[in-house]
Amino acid sequence: MRPTAIESLRAAQAALAELIAPELASAFALDATQTVQMLLESLVSEWDTAAANLSRDNETLGSLLLAAGEALRGAAKSNESLVSIVSEIEQRLREDGATSLVLSDLASRNASLRATLESVLVAFEDLTGRPGSKNIDEARTRIYKHLREVAARGWSFWDVSSFRGRMAAIQSSGGTDDALRAVG
Amino acid sequence: MLQKRIEAYLSGKIGAESVAVSHLQRIPGGASRETWSFDATWPENGKEVARGFVLRRDPDASLLETERDLEFRVMDAVAGHGVPVPKMYWLESEGAFLDRPFFVMERIDGCETSPTKVLLDPRFFPLRTRLAERFVDILARIHSLDWRARGLDFLGAPADEGACGAMEIEKWEGVVGRDALEPQPVLRAAFRWMRRNLPPPAQRIVLIHADYRTGNFLCDTEGEIRGVLDWEMVHLGDPMEDVAWACIRPWRWLGDENIGGLIEREQFYTQYEEASGFTVIPEAIRFWELLGNVKLAAIFLTGARSFCEGRTRSPMMAFLGRNIARLELEIMDLMEV
Repeated sequence: MRPTAIESLRAAQAALAELIAPELASAFALDATQTVQMLLESLVSEWDTAAANLSRDNETLGSLLLAAGEALRGAAKSNESLVSIVSEIEQRLREDGATSLVLSDLASRNASLRATLESVLVAFEDLTGRPGSKNIDEARTRIYKHLREVAARGWSFWDVSSFRGRMAAIQSSGGTDDALRAVG
Repeated sequence: MLQKRIEAYLSGKIGAESVAVSHLQRIPGGASRETWSFDATWPENGKEVARGFVLRRDPDASLLETERDLEFRVMDAVAGHGVPVPKMYWLESEGAFLDRPFFVMERIDGCETSPTKVLLDPRFFPLRTRLAERFVDILARIHSLDWRARGLDFLGAPADEGACGAMEIEKWEGVVGRDALEPQPVLRAAFRWMRRNLPPPAQRIVLIHADYRTGNFLCDTEGEIRGVLDWEMVHLGDPMEDVAWACIRPWRWLGDENIGGLIEREQFYTQYEEASGFTVIPEAIRFWELLGNVKLAAIFLTGARSFCEGRTRSPMMAFLGRNIARLELEIMDLMEV
């Protein structure tokens, strides 16, 4: 058995805190070690679940884009830019989504899906709340739920300062989509 | 060697035959420029003069692409008009002396600036009310400055009071467009939301510090603010922009709802209204708070791009680029989506 990636990162953190930092006299160097500590902490927090999260996100994004495409199709009849978004969605969903579990492949697929989602969401912001926009409003709500779940993941240095109360409320609510919305 | 080069530079500026620089050290903070502190001594009229200085030098890459000339000129212009700032000495816009542009200003000793110290050091606990009062009062003073009389027209005023919001959207949307390395659905949607929900016209166009918050002032152990720092983003605009920026969650350092870790929101508004004569308008604050979070995310994107393109090896740039998610959460809260 050998140390896992997370155990190795923890070893690097321990060395920084216990061996290197005490030897440093410069405030600037100490500040840099603290930043590196936090950088390592953010890696530790996502290391184990990164592939699973990306894989699941990509599935969710596919489903969100499908629903968005259906919602937009009705509104797109006389609007060229919406027609182009619908066509972008169709093209994106036609692409082979069965990527490998290599993180960079998953991340690349995620980025292309999110790029299309970006176009969709910007369009939705113009269309939401209008008469007959029920489908768009529903799809928009689902998209934001997903984006909230992604944004609440992992570790941030702000969770120990500015966002402490906010993140504690989210975590005590179970961190689910509905809980996120409830404490929002 | 930097020390020798600073000595040579100061000799020319001060007109002294010899200047000795000591205790030269790079200090943390001010991520948009390198910040160096040092002591200098030189002979003058038969006596030895000793003074502490801070040198701010342009980095190879930064969180913000700002003009140091602008920061220097504004700090110089507001000094002595009720806004405490370090005295500005010299500005060098070329890299002839220290490879990159820089300016030199007074070092104000005996003060703290780190939010951790100001908010968590027991010495400052009894001073928090006093500090909050000074924090609000100085913000009101910045907003009451006659920027035309101070020669700050060069900052470029918005076309009219109603144009302030759109002008800032334009600026930060440009930064996101230029620097984002991956899709940013939340930020893009937020820009759209803001365009549909522009704030009411500014009550007056004022000087905006644009980074006024706990962490950007020097305070002493009497609870006095002796220097307002980091004027890189200064511009002319809506006073509500500064009020809202001070309120955003990233600057509520203690993890509760207190503004800047110092003061309850309602109290902050009341004191600001009394000190400034402006009315705090909730819908304007919501817009500007949302823009503030988007702006901070945009600044982090700039740092992340610098890192990814190899223009800096600063771990801070890498780290901040990985910390946009919490801002997105806040942005979606403010959009109420």
